[in-house]
Amino acid sequence: MNIDDLKGAWGKDEPMGMKIPVSTAVLGKTSSAVARIRKNMKTEFIAVLVSYTMFTALMFYGIQSALFFNVASIFMFVIIVLNGFYYFRFYVFYKSISQYDLNMRNSIGKIAYELELNAEIYKTYNFCVTPLAVIISFVLLCGNKGLGFMHYVLASKAFISPWNLLIAFAVILISFIITYICINHHIRTQYGKHITELKQVVDDLGDEG
Amino acid sequence: MNNKETHFLQLIRENKGILFKISKIYQDDPEDRDDLLQEMILQLWLAFDGYRGDSKFSTWMYRVALNTAIAFFKKQKRRSDSEQIPYQFERAEELSSSDEKEEQLALFYRAIQELNKVEKALIYLYMEDMPYGEIASNLGISEINVRVRLNRIKTRLKEIVKKFEQ
Repeated sequence: MNIDDLKGAWGKDEPMGMKIPVSTAVLGKTSSAVARIRKNMKTEFIAVLVSYTMFTALMFYGIQSALFFNVASIFMFVIIVLNGFYYFRFYVFYKSISQYDLNMRNSIGKIAYELELNAEIYKTYNFCVTPLAVIISFVLLCGNKGLGFMHYVLASKAFISPWNLLIAFAVILISFIITYICINHHIRTQYGKHITELKQVVDDLGDEG
Repeated sequence: MNNKETHFLQLIRENKGILFKISKIYQDDPEDRDDLLQEMILQLWLAFDGYRGDSKFSTWMYRVALNTAIAFFKKQKRRSDSEQIPYQFERAEELSSSDEKEEQLALFYRAIQELNKVEKALIYLYMEDMPYGEIASNLGISEINVRVRLNRIKTRLKEIVKKFEQ
């Protein structure tokens, strides 16, 4: 087969029956890696807003202990600040990402880099927020029994021993490791393939300046 | 519908062959091909404000459409690979009574599926008769690199076709 001889047939290969939309309004949601992550993040953002509303209501109507109200408030503020930073960073990312009119190296390189960077930020964010969120959820959802238990644990003298302190530290460490493994798995299954494929394209383009 | 939108859709209609061929070489499943087509039109529309008319619309369109095709990921597999009948096979059967050139083209499309995303872009732009300098500028690589890679791709495609014919 002579590929150059096929150019004529290639030029005549017309789109038979190809439908072009009659209006841009009918264009649906997209399937690009960026668009898919954007959709996931939007869903997560809505879920975060709903859960904050619920937690705030529970804090005012469910907690009868001033100590735990104050502790939960501090945790909530920390989580809100972390969330605010993360979502702001992601918003900036999306505003700058849709630059498909650059050359392939710059366009795909930028998307791959930004996706990887944001996946790392996402990991860090979840790593910081998840343990705090679990503690707040426990306090709020377990009601007065949970509060009683937490009060007992925090006021207990059991920790005043190097051995017990070591056990507590090990438990916290293990919970962080489990959180890290779960987040990594989530990132790898959701976005890992996209990132790897885009990086492969950049590698295939080579190292030219 | 405003003037800008009417103008855009008119340009898309005039250049729909570009989108048709890109979706054909980057996706082998007809449904994925439709999704990619829609994605490319959407991305072109979103980027249309950035098109200042300095170059031909088609030149700008090649760039946006190819980048979109590369960053596009098909939805979850609708059928397993073993059940899937590649589009090119269907074409080859349809064209069995058609002239030799068209049969070869069907075989060529099938062979392209074996290339990676960058190689697909290179051979596509080459088949569209784009000058080497423009291909280099679209991909962000040197003109010499384009020539070298295209020679390799042509050789590889010939080998793939031979393998199919055996």
